[in-house]
Amino acid sequence: MLTTLGGGTKFKSPKRPRLTPAAAIRLRFWALRAAVFLLFGILIVQLWRLQVVEGRVYQTRAEVNRVRLQTIPPIRGVVFDRNGRQLVRNVPSFVVSVTPFDLPIDQQARVAERLAKLLNMLPEDVERPIALRRLRGEIFQPVIIKSGIDQTTAFIIEENNDKLPGVQVRTESVRQYLGGPIYSHILGYTGRITEEEYQALRHLGYTLNDRLGKTGVELTFERVLRGQPGKEQIIVNATGRQVGELDSIAPVPGDNLVLTIDSDLQSFVADAVRATMGNSKYAVGIVIHVKTGELLAFVSLPGYDNNLFSGPVPEKEWNELLTSPSRPLVNHGISDNFPPGSIFKLITGAAALQEKIATVDTKIFSKGYLELRSEIDPRIIYIFRDWGAHGWLDFYQAMARSGDVYFYQLAGGHYDFPGLGAERLAAYSRAFGLGEPTGVDLPGEVGGVVPTPAWKLREFGEEWYTGDTYNMGIGQGFWAVTPLQMLMVVTAFANGGELLRPLIVKEIRDPNNNVVQRFEREVRRRVPVSVDNLNEVSRGMVLGVEWEQGTAREAFVPGMRIAAKTGTAEFGQRDPRTGWYESQHGWCFAFGPVENPEIAVLVFHEFGSGGQTAAPAVGRILRYYFSRGQLAR
Amino acid sequence: MDVRVWRTMDPLIVAAMAGLIVLGLVLIYSASATGEWARGPLVDHPMVRQLFYAAIGFGALLLAMMLDYRLLGRAAPVLYALAVLALIAVLVVGQESYGAKRWINLPVVQFQPSEFSKLVLIITLAKFFADREGSVRSLRTLTLSLLLAVIPMGLIFLEPDVGTTLVVGAIWLGMALMSGIPLRYFGILTLAGLIVLPLIYEFALQDYQRARIETFLDPERDPLGRSYNLIQAEISIGSGGFFGKGLMAGTQTQLNYLRVQTTDFIFSVLGEELGFLGGVLLLGLFTVILLRAIGAAERARDPFARLLVSGICIMLLVQTTINIAVNTRLIPATGVPLPFISAGGTSLITCMIAIGLIESVAARRSRG
Repeated sequence: MLTTLGGGTKFKSPKRPRLTPAAAIRLRFWALRAAVFLLFGILIVQLWRLQVVEGRVYQTRAEVNRVRLQTIPPIRGVVFDRNGRQLVRNVPSFVVSVTPFDLPIDQQARVAERLAKLLNMLPEDVERPIALRRLRGEIFQPVIIKSGIDQTTAFIIEENNDKLPGVQVRTESVRQYLGGPIYSHILGYTGRITEEEYQALRHLGYTLNDRLGKTGVELTFERVLRGQPGKEQIIVNATGRQVGELDSIAPVPGDNLVLTIDSDLQSFVADAVRATMGNSKYAVGIVIHVKTGELLAFVSLPGYDNNLFSGPVPEKEWNELLTSPSRPLVNHGISDNFPPGSIFKLITGAAALQEKIATVDTKIFSKGYLELRSEIDPRIIYIFRDWGAHGWLDFYQAMARSGDVYFYQLAGGHYDFPGLGAERLAAYSRAFGLGEPTGVDLPGEVGGVVPTPAWKLREFGEEWYTGDTYNMGIGQGFWAVTPLQMLMVVTAFANGGELLRPLIVKEIRDPNNNVVQRFEREVRRRVPVSVDNLNEVSRGMVLGVEWEQGTAREAFVPGMRIAAKTGTAEFGQRDPRTGWYESQHGWCFAFGPVENPEIAVLVFHEFGSGGQTAAPAVGRILRYYFSRGQLAR
Repeated sequence: MDVRVWRTMDPLIVAAMAGLIVLGLVLIYSASATGEWARGPLVDHPMVRQLFYAAIGFGALLLAMMLDYRLLGRAAPVLYALAVLALIAVLVVGQESYGAKRWINLPVVQFQPSEFSKLVLIITLAKFFADREGSVRSLRTLTLSLLLAVIPMGLIFLEPDVGTTLVVGAIWLGMALMSGIPLRYFGILTLAGLIVLPLIYEFALQDYQRARIETFLDPERDPLGRSYNLIQAEISIGSGGFFGKGLMAGTQTQLNYLRVQTTDFIFSVLGEELGFLGGVLLLGLFTVILLRAIGAAERARDPFARLLVSGICIMLLVQTTINIAVNTRLIPATGVPLPFISAGGTSLITCMIAIGLIESVAARRSRG
């Protein structure tokens, strides 16, 4: 037919007569009509296919296009001290973010430039995170470009939203810490979720933009504080702007924490420890309720300003925090290890009484040092120094005076005097909780080291000598303990032998102030020492406060019997001329009143002396606490 | 001028056209309801602008109808020269938009020479073939007619506007066929084209021109993000279903998932909001215009009129088909406006003048 239309004759049968011109023209018009029906017919078929046959499929896709599931962050729970004083609150902050899906890729550079100018940033700093998110393929999740922006800038960006496709301004709540740096290690801070955290937590509904607890109770009680994120189905237009809402599930706000901390006491402890810390780079002061295990004050100095972490941390400040020799980011109360020094003598003494190595009447003479003949070469005599020549001391006096020779012998024996031996001493130490975390609800707690012959062989490839046992008995040498571990030791003496788990959180309360969970005292174990023997040790400690030759006299409280023990742990290099170490840690712990103990206090000075710096601090704290005339609720 | 044409014109064609224009206005209104124009001054609203162009177009239609089309035949060489000059001008002083130069900014409006040049070429070719009725079966006639078409085609191709280039080519092919050129000549020309085109591409074009064409042919490199738009157009049409979601109720349209939704992709708005029924209605109105026009051409009293109306029919048919085929993803993206529907002054006025010419022919039919 088309050949006919074209008028060609070559391929046609010669028998057929040629069309008249009029017929040929008519044929062409019929061909044109046929073209109309053919082409429009194809279009109709295609429309039928798309709209009727597959209409349902496209309706779903249109729905997916316009409806987006969005997470509504819950309000994070806040933190109070035990008396209801608020230590953390939430404040709103403007955040600018970009949803990559809503930013056409060819406009990305232009939008980044415009946004960078408004936010006073470099265009590449705006574009890079968006490009990264595109690479991950998570193009529906907004990327935070800058947080903590001021209201004026936020409004300008909102005004220009036509020219900034995919850009949103939202408010998020950030933490404001009210108590100052003395709470930094307890409360911790929140920060933006990291890649690793996101991968680990995404199944719990965390998004790439969440903030979460990074340390302190913000971290350990993250799940409690966070609450349940809400969900809403929103209708968005092609630039990702919300234009309506279909359905929503409201977020559940997080629960609040009531700490065991008494904020007045916390402040006082911080002041007392700071006032006595001298040249120490860092120091610790802790007060605990000996019957419940509730921590009433927990100070690690120096602290830092947690509020610094509410926005991006300035590099200068961050470097200072990281490089300062006082290591302000470290909670020295639980994350740092030291030799306990003489405060360890409580364990040596209690173990010796329990194992009947000694009685309270056992008298040992100190001439200022103890001689020990070498087991390998009898010509060699080792000298173990005492800090003074105390003469004859009984058990109480040895405890009060902190005589080293006395405890060398209880621990390691001396010729015909049998000692406990390293293994037995280590076993008692572990029973008192050394070498393991206390289980306090704060992150970063370390266990420490209880030295034994096997441990020394493993670590140093060296044999264990009697001298090692001597050192061990007075808390020197290989020991590594945390201040909180030692506080729990003295607490066990105060409460009749129960090793408690220290509590930092008293209650969890819901937003309506109903108690959701109460943290009750938790006994980790009973120490294997009779109450009588514990009390004998305590009697020695009381003597340390009350006897004029006691080392802990500064820990006195007028009109009250206090048990206290000081320790001065030597560390660093020994001066070859004087025989003294270059540095020493000062320790002191105490409890009272002895008849019915209520609180235990521990002070640690990195560079100090048990009797001269730590004990005065402990004394101040005790006097303050008991003079308030009220017992911790 | 002949005022008596009123009595002999075909009212059905104008009625169908008016139906399409009203449909277009409604769709433009719906498509702009939530766009950036919603807040702008009223005169900038696309529907108001389209209404303004329709008014001008109606005046032009009346003039074209009353004009004796034979005068146009005589004026063809001048019109052709003006069209070619305008096409050259657009390449020199044209307004660049989305990587193409298609518009000349006039004091009040933008003018798109390629739209007018289609109509001018139809008139020129109709005159050319009509004058050579006796020698229409020669290869020389075909080659010369091709030359007439290739000049505007080349210039439009350089803008670049591949869609309109295709439409112009289709007009030439259709008119050559309607004039009775033997089919076998097309085989020869195709062969020659396959040899010459790569040479033109390689040697005659500048680097930037090649870059423009490559950008146009490769949707991924299109700065408009046409591949995104194609998918959204398909979703819009498909989700419309049989009855459509209702005017102003299309989520794709109202939430601006579609771009260029008042122009090249306006059919997607129709598909979403008026459904399959709307599509059938639109094609039905076009069918009415085309069938009535073909009838008028058949009854025309001279070969020029016959070819003129045939050319117009081919133009409308090809543009409508390409536009809807792109919207429904039957063929790759090429920007061609949908006659009478797409927002755009030059396109609307050109199409209305074309209807005027059809009526002019219909009113002066042969007595035989």
